[in-house]
Amino acid sequence: MNHWFKSGKPWIWLTAGAVSISLIAVIGLLLMIAWRGLSFFWPAPIHEMQVQTPTGATTVLIGERYETEEIPVSRLNESGVFLEDYDSPVLQRYLIKVGNREYVPLDFTWVLEPSIVSDTTPKDLAVIERSKDGNFYGYPVDVLENGESVLTSQSNLRDVLFERIERAVEFNEQAMDLQNDEISTINYQIEQLRLERRGLQLEGKLTPAEEDRIASEQAALREDYMEIEKELFALRDQAGRDAVVMRDMRGEEVTLPMYRVLDVTFPNDMNILQKWGHFFVQVAKFVSEDPREANTEGGVFPAIFGTVFMVLLMSVLVTPFGVIAAVYLHEYAGKNIVTRVIRIAVINLAGVPSIVYGVFGLGFFVYMVGGTLDQIFYPESLPTPTFGTPGVLWSAITLAILTLPVVIVSTEEGLSRIPSTLREGSLALGATKAETIWRIILPMASPAIMTGLILAVARAAGEVAPLMLVGVVKSAPMLPVDGNFPYLHVDRKFMHLGFHIYDVGFQSPNVEAARPLVYATSFLLVTVIVGLNLTAIGVRNHLREKYRSLEH
Amino acid sequence: MISVTPTSSTAEALDLENLTSEQTAMEIRDLNLHYGDVQALFDVSMKIPKNRVTAFIGPSGCGKSTLLRCINRMNDLVEICRTSGEIILHDKNIYDKDVDAAALRRKVGMVFQRPNPFPKSIYENVVYGMRLQGVNDRRVLDEVVERSLKGAALWEEVKDRLGDTAFSLSGGQQQRLVIARAIAVEPEVLLLDEPTSALDPISTLTIEELITELKSKYTVVIVTHNMQQAARVSDQTAFMYMGKLIEYADTNTLFTTPEKKQTEDYITGRYG
Repeated sequence: MNHWFKSGKPWIWLTAGAVSISLIAVIGLLLMIAWRGLSFFWPAPIHEMQVQTPTGATTVLIGERYETEEIPVSRLNESGVFLEDYDSPVLQRYLIKVGNREYVPLDFTWVLEPSIVSDTTPKDLAVIERSKDGNFYGYPVDVLENGESVLTSQSNLRDVLFERIERAVEFNEQAMDLQNDEISTINYQIEQLRLERRGLQLEGKLTPAEEDRIASEQAALREDYMEIEKELFALRDQAGRDAVVMRDMRGEEVTLPMYRVLDVTFPNDMNILQKWGHFFVQVAKFVSEDPREANTEGGVFPAIFGTVFMVLLMSVLVTPFGVIAAVYLHEYAGKNIVTRVIRIAVINLAGVPSIVYGVFGLGFFVYMVGGTLDQIFYPESLPTPTFGTPGVLWSAITLAILTLPVVIVSTEEGLSRIPSTLREGSLALGATKAETIWRIILPMASPAIMTGLILAVARAAGEVAPLMLVGVVKSAPMLPVDGNFPYLHVDRKFMHLGFHIYDVGFQSPNVEAARPLVYATSFLLVTVIVGLNLTAIGVRNHLREKYRSLEH
Repeated sequence: MISVTPTSSTAEALDLENLTSEQTAMEIRDLNLHYGDVQALFDVSMKIPKNRVTAFIGPSGCGKSTLLRCINRMNDLVEICRTSGEIILHDKNIYDKDVDAAALRRKVGMVFQRPNPFPKSIYENVVYGMRLQGVNDRRVLDEVVERSLKGAALWEEVKDRLGDTAFSLSGGQQQRLVIARAIAVEPEVLLLDEPTSALDPISTLTIEELITELKSKYTVVIVTHNMQQAARVSDQTAFMYMGKLIEYADTNTLFTTPEKKQTEDYITGRYG
């Protein structure tokens, strides 16, 4: 035994064990998030169940089996539910998503396994995805056009339904494009004119001629607006022409207007290929669409965009700043106690809790800097703040300060790794110190700078707390980039995946519906960060190869 | 006992004490150097003749590299280093306040112990000094590359792969590239700090042949550990010991009939 200890084997086992545990933790975390997040998009079968109620009557439930739970019978008994003829100490219960939110009191309901009389998955059951009130489960019965049935004896109900839905979706998309592009552009221009007028007024230069010009331009824009609005209404009417009649689980026929219908699927009638197809379509929708219904439905595109945009903006700000600071600290600052104190201070800055940076960002950037900018450059829009309110620029700057130490430290490490012979070689050719730094040292330190940037990105993309103070919102009406001059609106608020997780998970009105979204969004956030990091690592490896140090 | 026979000194011996100003490339006068509290050079005075190869020899730590680095003010980079005395180039003390060290280093080039090519292409390594001077005309640079690489006896080996990274060259080739880089800016004096100590014998031989060729255009000062090398390539040799210049003479004379006992002891291998 003593010999075994001396051989060092226990030590090897201990170290290997530590690595294994870390590995298992990481892989387990990723697998769990991926599984729970991605299974949300898989077309689950729809069950039609006959359920016995405590009064003895049976009702029909139609819906997806959302979750299965094992509970002890004793707990049921305590809550006043007694089951006859049931011996086992535990039983299963299912959480059924029955949807049809506007017709039933609760769109999620628990069902005890013993109370299920029958459980079938009929092929004709359809899920209708709607832009409002969530999913609808039921049997399609009829398709109406202006209130009249369009079904004939030859026509297939499903084909007609698909065709009509496609048409309605088409019109809806056109209407949406109109609203997002042209109407929002006109609104933006009208607002700019208003600000122009107000600006002239403040400067005392508002001549009657100017006023007339602005008024006529505004009138012209309003006219355009009316035109487009008419067009929009026409499109909406077109989209609202048809309706689908569904029989729901109560046995009642319900008419659903087509303009709210986004998609219809028959998951019980899908083969595996169709299921995979549906899965990928759903995933694509999730990453490309806007959220609906207080973020509990639809996609997360604005949040992905906001996260990536903010991180890129932060990288653009933090890299030059951190590199310049590191160059001064390492190349120019005297090697004395002051430099050492500054260096320690910089390193310790990384340990300040991020929320503190948020408070600082709010107080300093948003209110002081932003407020001052507003008074100097945007007096016409006051009291509505332009930069004096949280926005994506302030978020990026706050996170840039948060990640500055990381960039400085790794850049300095990179600078100190460059062999002094290269500096001397450059100086001996008549280069000044600045030229040497610029032409030799910085290019050679670029892999280390990229390492700093990778760490900075990893830290910044996951930060939520400071952002809640300096720019993130639950739902941003507009992206920070659009087609209106100056195209980049860094004063706007933005959505963020990290905050989206928090918002959906804790602030959602429909907790059960939101839970898979929390996993899906978490998985997406991890994917986005990994993606950003892999890009940076790719660049770094390329640079490393290019500036491989002298090796003999 | 090592017997060293000078072989290369075809040039006639000069009277090193009384060189005319045309014959002198640089003159060192009463140079003292301190690293902090430690004195590394004591009252070194010597004249370095033009278009000849001067070798500094001596045991490790004798100050020969330090002296070499004084000649193009590379010691400026060492914060704790102080110098007194003068080094004259074109009637001007290079340690005067108004002398720009970068401009001086363009006139006095240097090659180091280990090859230190920049992480750039062969071409960009050679034109580095030219680019620093703001020369970006492709035709001029092409000419410089060809002339310098030919001057460093490397042209034939690399002319088809000038765009390759300099790290793809062997150690000896890298050292010749570094020499090409140094002569690309047309210096007057070329300082070589043990240029072959990191190289294999074949590469060493190539570099040594190159050095004897270089002296037709440049004044060469070489620091070497290797006495045979000094004997082979140099026209005059300075022997240094403990920071002092012990003996400075024509290479033939110094190796065959040294005046000082210390020199004799060193070249016969009694210490060092």
